[in-house]
Amino acid sequence: MSVFTLPQPDREAQLLPRLVELTEQHRVRGAAYANILAATGHQPGRDYAKVSDLPWLPVRLFKTHELRSIPEDEVFKVLTSSGTTGDVSRIYLDKAAAAAQTRMLGQTLQAVLGPKRLPMLIVDTTAIIKNRRSFSARGAGVLGMITFGRDHVWALDEDSKPDLEAVRGFLAKHGDKPFLVFGFTFMVWLYLYELARDNDLDLSNGILVHSGGWKKLVDQQVDNAEFRRAFQADTGLTRIHNFYGMVEQIGVVYLEGPDGNSLYCPDFADVVIRDPETWEPLPPGRPGLVEVISTLPESYPGHVLLTEDMGVINGIDDGAWPGKRFSILGRLPRAEARGCSDTFVGAS
Amino acid sequence: MKSVFPEISDISVERLLAEITDEPVGGRLTVGDDRVRDFLIAFSRRLLKPDLARRHPELGSLGFFLRKGELARAVERLADGVAGQRRAPRGLVLHFPPANVDTIFVYSWALSALAGNHNIVRVSARAAGAAQTVLEALNDVLADAHPAIAQTQRMITYDRDDATTGALIAACDLRVLWGGDHSVNELRKHPIRPLARDLAFPDRSSFAAISVAGWQASSPEQRVAAVDGFANDLYWFDQAACSSPRDLFWVGAAEDVGQARVEFDELLSDVVARRGWGVDPAMAVEKYVATYGLAATGAATKISFTGNAVANVSLAGLDDLQRHWLGAGTICHVTVASLAELAPAIQRKDQTLSQYGFTMSDLDDFVTTLAGRGIDRIVPFGQALTFAGTWDGFNLLHEFTRIITIQA
Repeated sequence: MSVFTLPQPDREAQLLPRLVELTEQHRVRGAAYANILAATGHQPGRDYAKVSDLPWLPVRLFKTHELRSIPEDEVFKVLTSSGTTGDVSRIYLDKAAAAAQTRMLGQTLQAVLGPKRLPMLIVDTTAIIKNRRSFSARGAGVLGMITFGRDHVWALDEDSKPDLEAVRGFLAKHGDKPFLVFGFTFMVWLYLYELARDNDLDLSNGILVHSGGWKKLVDQQVDNAEFRRAFQADTGLTRIHNFYGMVEQIGVVYLEGPDGNSLYCPDFADVVIRDPETWEPLPPGRPGLVEVISTLPESYPGHVLLTEDMGVINGIDDGAWPGKRFSILGRLPRAEARGCSDTFVGAS
Repeated sequence: MKSVFPEISDISVERLLAEITDEPVGGRLTVGDDRVRDFLIAFSRRLLKPDLARRHPELGSLGFFLRKGELARAVERLADGVAGQRRAPRGLVLHFPPANVDTIFVYSWALSALAGNHNIVRVSARAAGAAQTVLEALNDVLADAHPAIAQTQRMITYDRDDATTGALIAACDLRVLWGGDHSVNELRKHPIRPLARDLAFPDRSSFAAISVAGWQASSPEQRVAAVDGFANDLYWFDQAACSSPRDLFWVGAAEDVGQARVEFDELLSDVVARRGWGVDPAMAVEKYVATYGLAATGAATKISFTGNAVANVSLAGLDDLQRHWLGAGTICHVTVASLAELAPAIQRKDQTLSQYGFTMSDLDDFVTTLAGRGIDRIVPFGQALTFAGTWDGFNLLHEFTRIITIQA
């Protein structure tokens, strides 16, 4: 059963009461969240007419503070994100939340993968999950996806070099029926695309699921459109699904639809694009900051989060799937102060 | 390394130290040396030229600071030769100015030069904007200056290199360290000579205070001027300078504070709107993260934004004073009944209290109550970031000279 079914009015009507409930639930179960609501004028029982009226938390707060809505002895899993500056988000899940996120992620991906597990080509190296010490967001991302495939083959060897023989072997065995390809966007482009093009590999039965953003590909002038065009022209791969997600809203992926170039929200999620000056919701076509909304987070107050990503709504109820369809435009730069600090280190 | 004043594209540490320690043309520099004064006066005139002052208002303040009369008064205050005391330069002074506050290095260098020292200033390789303009102005004026200036006053840049830093430090008689605690500690790993001294300006924190009674007694015009000054203190250097206020104390009866704060908030919004000051979305997000974080721990009981420019935070109490940067335009308000109530919360690290509406005797009593806990300067609103010859508790000209006592 697809989780891409709800037109926007129905989605809002279903999500709003549930989100209000979650707000109350997290208020009661977490002092830090309750303090924030109290300090920002969101008293208990306040009336919310629209999803966009709900109080949001800046997503970076999960890096600086412990925000959880479950007692310590019920913590089953702590998810962490890797941060470039050493600060990591800590997301607390109990057993039920951990199970729910896997289940909902599975249902979401079924929309493009179908109900059965497919043979899976992973565009990465086993090294990233073998070395526990350098266990990265990339490693966690791969591990999170690995359960959705079978007969896994890694496209890169342990030295991170493309492993042509392994890929050829995979295609010889599975290439005539649908198969799953997963990897981070820049890895897929840098390693799989060139490898397939230069060796005339046929990926036409593949379903590529990728994520991670375009920042590392800016130099190569590759955007989503070029990525799709090149893969189709040079490898026959047409079923390409980018997704957008974050550890702070684990279990939710905003998935690129079959029409390409737009991300869609599963039925238990939504997005609001906010004007970063007025913080009012913006209509389609106007870029702003992305607020992500989901009814999944039960164990931590992550149901309404303001990200530091810029995005734009491309349309509402007018695409391949119902609801809002949107694009991510890039990340807001980190603000820096120019104060009296770090003479020596800063200047060097 | 590269010398940016005078301009020499490549110079070795050895050559730099050899040249700068050589006896200057026209004899050794003295306290208040005329060759230096003439140079500083010419430099001041250059800074005060309208084209330059318009582009960089902060250079105007520097120009005023270095006018002929100001220099004369500064030297006079040293009382060289009065009551059996003479002043002598320390020798070679090495300055490590902060990388990010563009112009502060010029003040400490100029005072040290006026004291008759030879100076080496390590300027940030990222020098841009006002700092770049300062270097251009210095080089412009150098053409007509006495040759002793180019020989004894040097500004250099080099990439991080412990050997170079160590060699410079080993040669100096006084080392002036600006910047974050981390930088100061790193530089202190290099030993100085036994007779040499350190003058360090590490991380500091600063506050502002309003007397509610003083506010109530003020005319509307005075209030506008006060808030105008406070806005300068708040937004210059993105509120990240050591002297930028982070907390604002409302000193008076709690029942009177409400009304005063409403007026203050309105006036502040007006100033910000009038000047077209805003913060970009990244800075706004920074402020949301910081202030929501304060709420999460209970340090803040109320947060309200007026646009992106002003974030008003009500702190739970004096135990929750904020000394860290929270993003440009973030004011943490606390109400206290009296300045005396504030005193126990003050720490040694605390530098500037910018104030409005207090009398000299209120402030003097406050300093008595502080009993040395902290605070180096108390200034009116609008002057938090105005540099003065006494900084961080040091009289700089005194620090840049030594005393010779004479008894016949």
